[in-house]
Amino acid sequence: MLHLLKIEWLKMKNYRAFWIFTIFYVVSIFLLNYIAWTIHQRTIEQVPGSSMILGNPFAYPGIWGTVGWMNSWLLYFPGLMMILLMTNEFNFKTHRQNIIDGLSRNQFITVKLVLALIMAVIITIINVLTAFYFASISPGTFTTDGMENIFYIFLQSVAYIFFALMLAVLFRRSGVAIIVLFLYGLIFEWVITATLTFKFQLAPAGYFLPLEASDVLLPFPFEKKVFYPNAPAAGVLIAVIAAYIIAYVFFARKRFLRDDL
Amino acid sequence: MVGIGNRGFCVKKVAVPAGRPYLQKNYQLLMSAVLTIDRLTKFYGPIKALDEVSFEVPRGSVFGILGPNGSGKTTLLGIVMDIIKASSGGFRFFGHEAGAADRRQMGTLLETPNFYHYLSGERNLRIAAEIKGKGMGDIDAVLKKVNLYERRKSKFSTYSLGMKQRLAIASCLLGDPEVLVFDEPTNGLDPAGIAEIRELMKRLYAEGKTIIMASHILDEVEKVCTHVAIIQKGVLKRVDTVDRVLAGSQGAGQRIEIAAEGNMDRLQQVVGKLAGVVSVQAEEGLLVVDCATSLSPGDLNRHCFDNGLVLTRLSARRQSLESTFLELTGKVSER
Repeated sequence: MLHLLKIEWLKMKNYRAFWIFTIFYVVSIFLLNYIAWTIHQRTIEQVPGSSMILGNPFAYPGIWGTVGWMNSWLLYFPGLMMILLMTNEFNFKTHRQNIIDGLSRNQFITVKLVLALIMAVIITIINVLTAFYFASISPGTFTTDGMENIFYIFLQSVAYIFFALMLAVLFRRSGVAIIVLFLYGLIFEWVITATLTFKFQLAPAGYFLPLEASDVLLPFPFEKKVFYPNAPAAGVLIAVIAAYIIAYVFFARKRFLRDDL
Repeated sequence: MVGIGNRGFCVKKVAVPAGRPYLQKNYQLLMSAVLTIDRLTKFYGPIKALDEVSFEVPRGSVFGILGPNGSGKTTLLGIVMDIIKASSGGFRFFGHEAGAADRRQMGTLLETPNFYHYLSGERNLRIAAEIKGKGMGDIDAVLKKVNLYERRKSKFSTYSLGMKQRLAIASCLLGDPEVLVFDEPTNGLDPAGIAEIRELMKRLYAEGKTIIMASHILDEVEKVCTHVAIIQKGVLKRVDTVDRVLAGSQGAGQRIEIAAEGNMDRLQQVVGKLAGVVSVQAEEGLLVVDCATSLSPGDLNRHCFDNGLVLTRLSARRQSLESTFLELTGKVSER
């Protein structure tokens, strides 16, 4: 596997788009949290009483959830990257050439899945470091409360990136896959969920949509009850997310192992 | 050391004797054939692209797969390289079930040069070598062989078609594989490049490599290959050595082309009277004489001269692979 990952690295390390997106993403994580933190500071300065009502989402234990929620907006960056890496192979027909040169089909698709996992791990680490930083400049002392959110961040990253990978394998063209990722993730899923939850009062059905399930695990840190009525327990959501991830993996592998390339 | 042109390869020209004795190398057929194809069939929906195709590629041969466009050559090679899944039938490499490890021992160029556009030629070869697990040290050498060394650091997207093709061929040579598979290797190359490919193949053959080449350029197959499999509409029409295919089609006779000054009708009459002549047909500006092998072109010449006719043209026409091919497959290109 290490050898396969080395080959993937050779493909990525001289790919300019990869570096641009990576730098943008890492900077964005920090910046987004910084902006929110600044706004929060200003709000407290101007309306001193609000700190009682809002609590401090940038101090322990809320920091984990806050950073996690911020990250769920930014996960489209690594999702985009995953789509580009995969659809490049289809565009250049190197998915065929890699097999011709001597990779097995199983090796080819497995290393892409492992790559997605590694991306999720790195994303989680970056978010944890960001959380440590912002918590350190906020009042409050360290507590392990809320640290399960670190696992939720990892799970959400895996869900988003695997979803993106599945879209890439399904559509094979970067344009279509990217548009579907953004349209579905940012607009359609939210519309469907809101419709199911608020119009048809069918909560918690709406929370079981692919990306929504992980979004609910890391909710908007300020007013949970209003935005997510009847949200199911975390355990249920984790099971749902795991089921989706297994489905994405199953689909991607089946496509790759059985079909003509 | 001879370099032909500054856009072709730089390849040491091998001294080959006149004629084609280099093709008469001894080899043992059926000694663990490099590739054995057993009743391969492929359907694309209702279209039958391959119909129970079976043949063997002997070790050390230059095996040509000839067929019109759309005959199934690329599908066949695609199945063998695990790019396409066969509907039924199978194949074996060196007598055992094929796997990725076998493909690593081969150098293959299938249909188009497939590389990462944003990477240089050198970096692309680095990836190919990593996948094969060998040939890392060969990169500079193979680039020099295909005359791409000066452009090795340029992005693949800046290469011309011929350069892309040459990079693909370079990739095949990484790790000095024993078996090479080429699908239309001269595609996109200028005449100098085509000649260089021919030289390269002859050299590889002389080194004992096995080459499998799919092509519709009959001239190339005739000049380079030892064996040929002719495929049309997914059906194997004929598989044999090139020599036997060429010899057999002529039957027991020979063909001689002649022409004379002035009246060709008189020539036709005169020649028709000669014993041993089977038929005389008129073609553009010349006569094609089918006659027994006992009659030499010299006899024909003397006969005409004795009758007051001076020949301006006299040559034995070798039955070419092209005419055999067209006989077997008909004269219409496939869709």
